[in-house]
Amino acid sequence: MGPEVERELIRKCKTGDSRFYEPLVRAYEQPGLRLALGMLGNLEDAKDALQAAFVRAFQALGRFDLRRPFGPWFFQILRNQCRDMLRSRKARFQLEALDERLELRPASREDGPERYQEKGQARRLLWEALERIGEEHREIIILKELQGLRYGEIAAVLEIPEGTVASRLYHARRALKEALEDMGAEYP
Amino acid sequence: MSERVTHEELMRYLDGEVGPEERRRIEASMEESTEMRRDLVVFRTMKDDLQGLNLATGQGNGSVWDAVNRQLTRPVGWVLVVIGSLLWAAYGIYAYLTSPHFFLEKVATGAVAIGILLLLASVIWDRYREWLVDPYRDLQR
Repeated sequence: MGPEVERELIRKCKTGDSRFYEPLVRAYEQPGLRLALGMLGNLEDAKDALQAAFVRAFQALGRFDLRRPFGPWFFQILRNQCRDMLRSRKARFQLEALDERLELRPASREDGPERYQEKGQARRLLWEALERIGEEHREIIILKELQGLRYGEIAAVLEIPEGTVASRLYHARRALKEALEDMGAEYP
Repeated sequence: MSERVTHEELMRYLDGEVGPEERRRIEASMEESTEMRRDLVVFRTMKDDLQGLNLATGQGNGSVWDAVNRQLTRPVGWVLVVIGSLLWAAYGIYAYLTSPHFFLEKVATGAVAIGILLLLASVIWDRYREWLVDPYRDLQR
Protein backbone atom coordinates (compact mmCIF):
# COMPACT_ATOMS: atom_id res chain seq x y z
CA MET A 1 0.00 0.00 0.00
CA GLY A 2 1.44 3.40 -1.00
CA PRO A 3 1.94 6.14 1.60
CA GLU A 4 -0.64 8.37 -0.10
CA VAL A 5 -3.35 5.69 0.00
CA GLU A 6 -2.42 4.94 3.60
CA ARG A 7 -2.69 8.62 4.55
CA GLU A 8 -6.07 8.91 2.84
CA LEU A 9 -7.41 5.85 4.68
CA ILE A 10 -6.20 7.21 8.01
CA ARG A 11 -7.78 10.59 7.26
CA LYS A 12 -11.13 8.84 6.72
CA CYS A 13 -10.68 6.65 9.83
CA LYS A 14 -10.05 9.80 11.87
CA THR A 15 -13.69 10.73 11.26
CA GLY A 16 -14.62 7.54 13.15
CA ASP A 17 -15.56 5.44 10.12
CA SER A 18 -14.07 2.02 10.85
CA ARG A 19 -14.81 0.67 7.34
CA PHE A 20 -11.66 2.37 6.07
CA TYR A 21 -9.60 0.69 8.77
CA GLU A 22 -9.89 -2.78 7.22
CA PRO A 23 -7.18 -2.33 4.53
CA LEU A 24 -4.79 -1.01 7.16
CA VAL A 25 -5.45 -3.96 9.45
CA ARG A 26 -4.95 -6.41 6.60
CA ALA A 27 -1.73 -4.70 5.50
CA TYR A 28 -0.15 -4.68 8.95
CA GLU A 29 -1.47 -7.84 10.55
CA GLN A 30 1.23 -10.21 9.28
CA PRO A 31 4.24 -8.06 10.27
CA GLY A 32 2.38 -7.24 13.48
CA LEU A 33 1.81 -10.91 14.23
CA ARG A 34 5.49 -11.65 13.68
CA LEU A 35 6.44 -8.94 16.17
CA ALA A 36 3.89 -10.05 18.76
CA LEU A 37 4.78 -13.70 18.33
CA GLY A 38 8.45 -12.93 18.73
CA MET A 39 7.76 -10.96 21.89
CA LEU A 40 5.19 -13.25 23.49
CA GLY A 41 6.27 -16.62 22.16
CA ASN A 42 2.90 -18.18 21.43
CA LEU A 43 0.25 -17.63 18.81
CA GLU A 44 -2.81 -17.22 21.04
CA ASP A 45 -1.32 -14.39 23.10
CA ALA A 46 0.19 -12.84 19.97
CA LYS A 47 -3.23 -12.70 18.30
CA ASP A 48 -4.82 -11.21 21.42
CA ALA A 49 -2.12 -8.54 21.58
CA LEU A 50 -2.44 -7.79 17.89
CA GLN A 51 -6.19 -7.42 18.12
CA ALA A 52 -5.99 -5.16 21.17
CA ALA A 53 -3.27 -3.06 19.53
CA PHE A 54 -5.40 -2.48 16.41
CA VAL A 55 -8.30 -1.37 18.61
CA ARG A 56 -6.02 0.91 20.65
CA ALA A 57 -4.49 2.35 17.47
CA PHE A 58 -7.91 3.12 16.00
CA GLN A 59 -8.96 4.86 19.21
CA ALA A 60 -5.73 6.88 19.18
CA LEU A 61 -5.90 7.85 15.50
CA GLY A 62 -7.19 11.30 16.46
CA ARG A 63 -3.74 12.08 17.84
CA PHE A 64 -1.89 10.50 14.90
CA ASP A 65 0.31 12.88 12.92
CA LEU A 66 -0.46 12.31 9.23
CA ARG A 67 3.07 13.29 8.21
CA ARG A 68 4.41 10.19 9.95
CA PRO A 69 4.23 6.65 8.51
CA PHE A 70 1.62 4.42 10.12
CA GLY A 71 3.83 1.29 10.45
CA PRO A 72 6.36 2.35 13.11
CA TRP A 73 3.61 4.15 15.06
CA PHE A 74 1.46 1.03 15.08
CA PHE A 75 4.39 -1.23 16.00
CA GLN A 76 5.10 1.08 18.92
CA ILE A 77 1.52 0.57 20.18
CA LEU A 78 1.78 -3.17 19.59
CA ARG A 79 5.10 -3.39 21.40
CA ASN A 80 3.61 -1.55 24.39
CA GLN A 81 0.61 -3.89 24.32
CA CYS A 82 2.92 -6.93 24.35
CA ARG A 83 4.92 -5.47 27.22
CA ASP A 84 1.73 -4.80 29.18
CA MET A 85 0.64 -8.38 28.62
CA LEU A 86 4.00 -9.72 29.72
CA ARG A 87 3.82 -7.65 32.89
CA SER A 88 0.27 -8.67 33.69
CA ARG A 89 -0.68 -12.22 34.61
CA LYS A 90 -2.21 -12.74 31.20
CA ALA A 91 0.89 -13.95 29.44
CA ARG A 92 4.49 -14.71 29.82
CA PHE A 93 6.93 -15.69 27.16
CA GLN A 94 5.83 -19.23 26.53
CA LEU A 95 7.71 -21.04 23.91
CA GLU A 96 5.44 -22.69 21.44
CA ALA A 97 6.64 -25.89 19.90
CA LEU A 98 7.83 -25.35 16.41
CA ASP A 99 5.61 -28.00 14.98
CA GLU A 100 2.20 -27.60 13.43
CA ARG A 101 1.60 -24.06 14.64
CA LEU A 102 4.70 -22.24 13.44
CA GLU A 103 6.21 -22.51 10.05
CA LEU A 104 9.87 -22.62 9.39
CA ARG A 105 11.02 -21.58 5.98
CA PRO A 106 13.28 -24.45 5.03
CA ALA A 107 16.79 -24.00 3.74
CA SER A 108 17.10 -24.45 0.03
CA ARG A 109 16.70 -28.08 -0.99
CA GLU A 110 19.65 -27.51 -3.30
CA ASP A 111 21.87 -27.36 -0.20
CA GLY A 112 21.45 -31.10 0.21
CA PRO A 113 19.59 -33.05 2.91
CA GLU A 114 22.29 -32.66 5.59
CA ARG A 115 22.56 -28.90 5.28
CA TYR A 116 18.75 -28.74 5.09
CA GLN A 117 18.45 -30.59 8.39
CA GLU A 118 21.27 -28.57 9.95
CA LYS A 119 19.55 -25.30 9.07
CA GLY A 120 16.28 -26.50 10.54
CA GLN A 121 18.04 -27.52 13.75
CA ALA A 122 19.88 -24.18 13.98
CA ARG A 123 16.58 -22.31 13.71
CA ARG A 124 14.97 -24.40 16.40
CA LEU A 125 17.87 -23.61 18.70
CA LEU A 126 17.60 -19.93 17.86
CA TRP A 127 13.92 -19.90 18.72
CA GLU A 128 14.66 -21.51 22.07
CA ALA A 129 17.56 -19.14 22.70
CA LEU A 130 15.25 -16.17 22.07
CA GLU A 131 13.26 -17.28 25.10
CA ARG A 132 16.35 -17.14 27.27
CA ILE A 133 17.46 -13.59 26.51
CA GLY A 134 15.87 -10.55 28.14
CA GLU A 135 12.79 -8.83 26.77
CA GLU A 136 14.76 -5.76 25.67
CA HIS A 137 17.24 -7.86 23.71
CA ARG A 138 14.49 -9.96 22.19
CA GLU A 139 12.40 -7.07 20.92
CA ILE A 140 15.25 -5.32 19.09
CA ILE A 141 16.32 -8.58 17.42
CA ILE A 142 12.76 -9.22 16.30
CA LEU A 143 12.34 -5.71 14.93
CA LYS A 144 15.57 -6.03 12.96
CA GLU A 145 15.59 -9.62 11.77
CA LEU A 146 11.97 -10.71 11.69
CA GLN A 147 10.44 -7.37 10.78
CA GLY A 148 13.35 -6.21 8.64
CA LEU A 149 13.09 -2.60 9.89
CA ARG A 150 15.81 -0.03 9.21
CA TYR A 151 17.65 1.57 12.15
CA GLY A 152 15.58 4.76 11.87
CA GLU A 153 12.33 2.79 12.06
CA ILE A 154 13.56 0.72 15.01
CA ALA A 155 14.49 3.94 16.82
CA ALA A 156 10.96 5.26 16.22
CA VAL A 157 9.31 2.08 17.51
CA LEU A 158 11.50 1.79 20.60
CA GLU A 159 11.55 5.54 21.21
CA ILE A 160 15.34 5.66 21.44
CA PRO A 161 17.90 7.78 19.54
CA GLU A 162 18.94 6.26 16.21
CA GLY A 163 22.56 6.20 17.37
CA THR A 164 21.67 3.80 20.19
CA VAL A 165 20.18 1.14 17.88
CA ALA A 166 23.54 -0.30 16.74
CA SER A 167 24.83 -0.57 20.28
CA ARG A 168 21.66 -2.24 21.56
CA LEU A 169 21.69 -4.63 18.62
CA TYR A 170 25.27 -5.58 19.40
CA HIS A 171 24.45 -6.41 23.02
CA ALA A 172 21.31 -8.30 22.00
CA ARG A 173 23.17 -10.39 19.42
CA ARG A 174 25.95 -11.05 21.90
CA ALA A 175 23.37 -12.19 24.48
CA LEU A 176 21.76 -14.47 21.91
CA LYS A 177 25.11 -15.97 21.02
CA GLU A 178 25.86 -16.60 24.70
CA ALA A 179 22.44 -18.18 25.21
CA LEU A 180 23.16 -20.50 22.29
CA GLU A 181 26.52 -21.42 23.75
CA ASP A 182 24.90 -22.12 27.14
CA MET A 183 22.57 -24.49 25.35
CA GLY A 184 25.59 -26.32 24.05
CA ALA A 185 25.15 -25.12 20.49
CA GLU A 186 28.18 -24.47 18.38
CA TYR A 187 27.46 -21.42 16.38
CA PRO A 188 27.76 -21.15 13.45
CA MET B 1 47.52 0.73 10.33
CA SER B 2 43.71 1.16 10.02
CA GLU B 3 41.48 2.47 12.77
CA ARG B 4 39.82 -0.19 14.92
CA VAL B 5 36.21 -0.98 14.03
CA THR B 6 33.79 -0.42 16.91
CA HIS B 7 31.01 -2.87 17.76
CA GLU B 8 28.44 -0.31 16.59
CA GLU B 9 30.19 0.06 13.24
CA LEU B 10 30.29 -3.70 12.87
CA MET B 11 26.52 -3.83 13.43
CA ARG B 12 25.85 -1.06 10.91
CA TYR B 13 28.09 -2.82 8.40
CA LEU B 14 26.34 -6.15 8.95
CA ASP B 15 22.92 -4.54 8.57
CA GLY B 16 23.82 -2.53 5.48
CA GLU B 17 23.47 0.81 7.26
CA VAL B 18 26.81 2.27 6.08
CA GLY B 19 27.70 4.35 3.06
CA PRO B 20 30.22 3.15 0.42
CA GLU B 21 33.13 5.05 1.93
CA GLU B 22 32.54 3.80 5.48
CA ARG B 23 32.06 0.32 4.12
CA ARG B 24 35.49 0.39 2.45
CA ARG B 25 37.12 1.70 5.64
CA ILE B 26 35.50 -1.02 7.77
CA GLU B 27 36.48 -3.74 5.31
CA ALA B 28 40.08 -2.50 5.31
CA SER B 29 40.15 -2.50 9.13
CA MET B 30 38.68 -5.96 9.34
CA GLU B 31 41.45 -7.32 7.15
CA GLU B 32 43.67 -6.79 10.16
CA SER B 33 41.39 -8.19 12.86
CA THR B 34 40.71 -11.91 13.01
CA GLU B 35 38.45 -11.39 16.03
CA MET B 36 36.22 -8.95 14.15
CA ARG B 37 36.05 -11.22 11.12
CA ARG B 38 35.05 -14.14 13.33
CA ASP B 39 32.38 -12.03 15.05
CA LEU B 40 31.08 -10.97 11.68
CA VAL B 41 30.75 -14.58 10.50
CA VAL B 42 28.90 -15.57 13.69
CA PHE B 43 26.52 -12.60 13.54
CA ARG B 44 25.89 -13.01 9.82
CA THR B 45 25.00 -16.70 10.21
CA MET B 46 22.75 -15.88 13.13
CA LYS B 47 21.12 -13.13 11.08
CA ASP B 48 20.47 -15.49 8.14
CA ASP B 49 18.96 -18.13 10.41
CA LEU B 50 16.81 -15.61 12.25
CA GLN B 51 15.49 -14.32 8.96
CA GLY B 52 14.67 -17.93 8.13
CA LEU B 53 12.28 -18.06 11.09
CA ASN B 54 9.27 -17.46 8.94
CA LEU B 55 6.81 -17.21 11.80
CA ALA B 56 3.06 -17.39 11.53
CA THR B 57 2.69 -16.36 7.95
CA GLY B 58 -0.42 -16.82 5.92
CA GLN B 59 -1.98 -20.25 6.01
CA GLY B 60 -3.96 -21.32 9.02
CA ASN B 61 -3.95 -17.88 10.59
CA GLY B 62 -7.16 -16.06 9.70
CA SER B 63 -7.38 -12.30 9.66
CA VAL B 64 -8.02 -10.49 12.93
CA TRP B 65 -10.14 -7.92 11.11
CA ASP B 66 -13.50 -9.46 12.08
CA ALA B 67 -12.58 -9.48 15.76
CA VAL B 68 -11.20 -5.93 15.58
CA ASN B 69 -14.28 -4.70 13.76
CA ARG B 70 -16.54 -6.30 16.37
CA GLN B 71 -14.64 -4.56 19.14
CA LEU B 72 -14.83 -1.23 17.35
CA THR B 73 -18.54 -1.37 16.59
CA ARG B 74 -19.86 -3.23 19.66
CA PRO B 75 -19.46 -0.35 22.15
CA VAL B 76 -21.69 1.83 19.94
CA GLY B 77 -24.37 -0.86 20.05
CA TRP B 78 -24.10 -1.22 23.82
CA VAL B 79 -24.33 2.56 24.36
CA LEU B 80 -27.50 2.71 22.25
CA VAL B 81 -29.06 -0.29 24.02
CA VAL B 82 -28.28 1.14 27.49
CA ILE B 83 -29.55 4.65 26.63
CA GLY B 84 -32.73 3.23 25.05
CA SER B 85 -33.38 0.91 28.02
CA LEU B 86 -32.87 3.71 30.54
CA LEU B 87 -35.25 5.98 28.65
CA TRP B 88 -37.92 3.25 28.48
CA ALA B 89 -37.46 2.42 32.19
CA ALA B 90 -37.73 6.08 33.20
CA TYR B 91 -40.83 6.57 31.05
CA GLY B 92 -42.39 3.35 32.45
CA ILE B 93 -41.79 4.42 36.06
CA TYR B 94 -43.16 7.89 35.35
CA ALA B 95 -46.24 6.48 33.58
CA TYR B 96 -46.87 3.99 36.40
CA LEU B 97 -46.45 6.54 39.20
CA THR B 98 -48.78 9.03 37.54
CA SER B 99 -51.36 6.37 36.67
CA PRO B 100 -54.70 6.23 38.57
CA HIS B 101 -53.82 2.85 40.24
CA PHE B 102 -54.51 2.26 43.89
CA PHE B 103 -51.60 3.37 46.20
CA LEU B 104 -51.13 -0.05 47.88
CA GLU B 105 -50.88 -1.69 44.43
CA LYS B 106 -48.03 0.69 43.53
CA VAL B 107 -46.18 0.03 46.81
CA ALA B 108 -46.46 -3.78 46.37
CA THR B 109 -45.25 -3.70 42.74
CA GLY B 110 -42.45 -1.31 43.69
CA ALA B 111 -41.32 -3.63 46.52
CA VAL B 112 -41.22 -6.66 44.18
CA ALA B 113 -39.24 -4.71 41.56
CA ILE B 114 -36.75 -3.33 44.10
CA GLY B 115 -36.39 -6.78 45.72
CA ILE B 116 -35.56 -8.42 42.37
CA LEU B 117 -33.01 -5.69 41.61
CA LEU B 118 -31.36 -6.09 45.03
CA LEU B 119 -31.14 -9.89 44.63
CA LEU B 120 -29.66 -9.50 41.16
CA ALA B 121 -27.10 -6.94 42.42
CA SER B 122 -26.04 -9.20 45.32
CA VAL B 123 -25.58 -12.22 43.00
CA ILE B 124 -23.47 -10.12 40.60
CA TRP B 125 -21.42 -8.79 43.53
CA ASP B 126 -20.77 -12.32 44.85
CA ARG B 127 -19.70 -13.56 41.43
CA TYR B 128 -17.39 -10.59 41.03
CA ARG B 129 -15.73 -11.25 44.40
CA GLU B 130 -15.26 -14.94 43.52
CA TRP B 131 -13.78 -13.97 40.17
CA LEU B 132 -11.25 -11.66 41.86
CA VAL B 133 -9.73 -14.54 43.85
CA ASP B 134 -10.17 -17.23 41.20
CA PRO B 135 -6.69 -18.66 40.50
CA TYR B 136 -7.88 -20.12 37.18
CA ARG B 137 -9.49 -16.98 35.79
CA ASP B 138 -6.82 -16.54 33.06
CA LEU B 139 -7.20 -20.07 31.80
CA GLN B 140 -9.03 -20.35 28.52
CA ARG B 141 -11.92 -22.75 28.69
